[in-house]
Amino acid sequence: MLNVENINVGYKDLQVLWGVSFQVNQGELVALIGPNGAGKTTTLKAIMGLRRPWSGAIYFEGCNLCKAPAHKMAELGIAMVPEGGRVFTGLTVLENLELGAFPPHARKHMAQTLEEMYQLFPRLAERKFQRAGTLSGGERQMLAIARALMSRPKLLMLDEPSFGLAPLLVDRIFAKIQEINQAGMTILLVEQNVRAALELAHRSYVIQNGRIVGTGTSEELLSFEFVRSAYLG
Amino acid sequence: MSRRDIAFIISTLIAAAALAVVPTITTKESVINLLVLVYIYVMMASSWNIIGGIAGQVNLGHAAFFGLGSLVSRILWTKGWPLSISLILGALVPVAFALLIGAPSFKLRGVYFAIGTLAMAQILFITTRNLFPMISSLPTEALSTYSLAPRYYMALGMTLLTVLVVFWLSRSRWGLGMVAVREETSAAESLGVSALQHKLLALCLSALFAGLAGGVFAYYSAGYYLFFPFFPTWTFDAVMATYIGGTGTVIGPIIGAVFYVLVKEILALRFVELHPFIFGTLFILVVLFLPGGMIQIWSRLRRLLVRKSTLAPSAAKEEQVPETNMVHDRPAVE
Repeated sequence: MLNVENINVGYKDLQVLWGVSFQVNQGELVALIGPNGAGKTTTLKAIMGLRRPWSGAIYFEGCNLCKAPAHKMAELGIAMVPEGGRVFTGLTVLENLELGAFPPHARKHMAQTLEEMYQLFPRLAERKFQRAGTLSGGERQMLAIARALMSRPKLLMLDEPSFGLAPLLVDRIFAKIQEINQAGMTILLVEQNVRAALELAHRSYVIQNGRIVGTGTSEELLSFEFVRSAYLG
Repeated sequence: MSRRDIAFIISTLIAAAALAVVPTITTKESVINLLVLVYIYVMMASSWNIIGGIAGQVNLGHAAFFGLGSLVSRILWTKGWPLSISLILGALVPVAFALLIGAPSFKLRGVYFAIGTLAMAQILFITTRNLFPMISSLPTEALSTYSLAPRYYMALGMTLLTVLVVFWLSRSRWGLGMVAVREETSAAESLGVSALQHKLLALCLSALFAGLAGGVFAYYSAGYYLFFPFFPTWTFDAVMATYIGGTGTVIGPIIGAVFYVLVKEILALRFVELHPFIFGTLFILVVLFLPGGMIQIWSRLRRLLVRKSTLAPSAAKEEQVPETNMVHDRPAVE
C-alpha cells in the first residue's frame, strides 16, 4: 500500500535520511522505531508532503506522493496524528472533528463517522462542546486520533502517540490503536517507546542515524542484540 | 443553523431597520455624518477581521484596498459611469490586486508578512500621491443636488452586507478552514486544508469589502484628495478597532468600530492635541487586560454568573456550558 523507496531527505545542507526504504501492506500495523533524532518524524513529514525528499520516491497505492502538495494527502487517504496531537486548542472538540472531515469524500459521511468516533472514544462525546484546550493530555491524544480518522483514511500514521503521557494512559491509547487496526485500518506507528510498539506491531523497522538498520517481526527484532541493549535495557 | 445564529441574524436585521429610520427622525447633518463614518469603520474593521482575525494573517496593507476601491469608484463615477458599475468595479479591482500580491506575500510569515504588506500599501500610497495630487471635488451641478440620505442608506446597506457575509463565512467550512490555518498551519494542511487557498480567499474577501467601503467613501465625500484613502491610518484604525472589539469574532469588530469612532470623535473635540496619546494608551490597556477585546467582558461576566448559579448543586456542571461557536470569544493566542 505504501512504498517508500530509497529517499534522501534533509534540511538546508543537513541530510537527515539516507536512502530510507520500507513498505506497509494493507491491514498491517507497522512500527518505525528508533531513538530520538533518528529521523522518524522527518520520515512522516516526507510522506505527508511537508518535507520534500531530495531523491527517491514514495508510492501510495501506486501514486507518486512526491508531486502532491501536503493538503492533498487527506484526499488520497492518508491521515496523520502529529506528535503531541496538535489539536486546535481554541476550537471545540466537535469543531476539531469537523475539521478532520475536511476532504469532500469524508464530508459526505461526517454524521456517521462522528457517531463511530463517539463510540470509540465516549469521552469525546461527553466533551464535544468543550474547547480542546481544556482537555487533558490523554484526551487530546484521543481527539487527535479521532480527528485523523474523521477523514476516513486508508492509512493512519501516528507520530509518538505515547509522547508525554503517563504509562497507564499509554496502555490505554495503544489498546485503542490495536482496536482500530483490528477493525481493518492500516497503521504506520512511529515510536520511541519500543517495548509498547513492538508488542503491538506485526512488523517493525528500526531506524538509527537516518538509516534503516533492521527489520522483522517483533520476535525477530528482539533477537537483535542492539534492539535489546539499546531499548530494552 | 443554531438558535444563537438565528438570534444574531434577527438582531442584526432589527438594528439595521432601526438605523434606517434615523434620517426620518433627525435632520441634524452631524448625526448622519457621524453614522456614515461609523458604517465605513465597521466595514473596514469587519473586512480586516477576515484576513487578520479569522485567518490570523496580520495584514498591514488594508488601506491599499480601501484606497483602490475609492479611487476606481470615484474616477469612474465622476466620469459619468453608472454608480452601481463604478462601485462594483471599485470592489473588484482591489480583489485583483489582492490576488496579485497574495501569492508572493504569503511566502512571508508573521512579522515579515505584516511588514511586506505595509510596504506594498505605502508604495501604492506614494504612487497615487504623485499621480493624483489634486483634490477631487464633485462637479457643481452634482454638488447643488447633493443629498445625504441616499449616501446614508448606501453606507448602511453595504455595512449590513459586509456583516452578513462575514457571519456566513464564520459559520462555513471555508471559515473553519481559515481558523485551522491560523491555529496550527501544518496540522491543518495534514487534514486537507490548503493554507494558501484559504489565506488567498480570506485576503480576497477582505479586499472586496474594503474596496466596497472605499466606494461608499467616494460616493459620500463631496471633495477629498484622491490619495487620502491610501493613508496608512485607515489600516491602523481598522486594526485597532478590530483588536479593541475582539479579533476573530463577528461582533467584535462591529463593537470595536462603533466604540472607536465615538471615542475618537469625543476625544478629538475635548483634547485636540492629546487624543492620539489617550487612544494609544487605551489600546495598550485593552491588549494587556482584555486580549480577547471588549466582547470578552461579556463572556467573562457570563462565566461568572454561571459559576454562581451552579455553585451549590454541582461544580461539574460548569464545565458543560457550551462555549461559543467556532469563531471565539477568545483570541488566537491562548
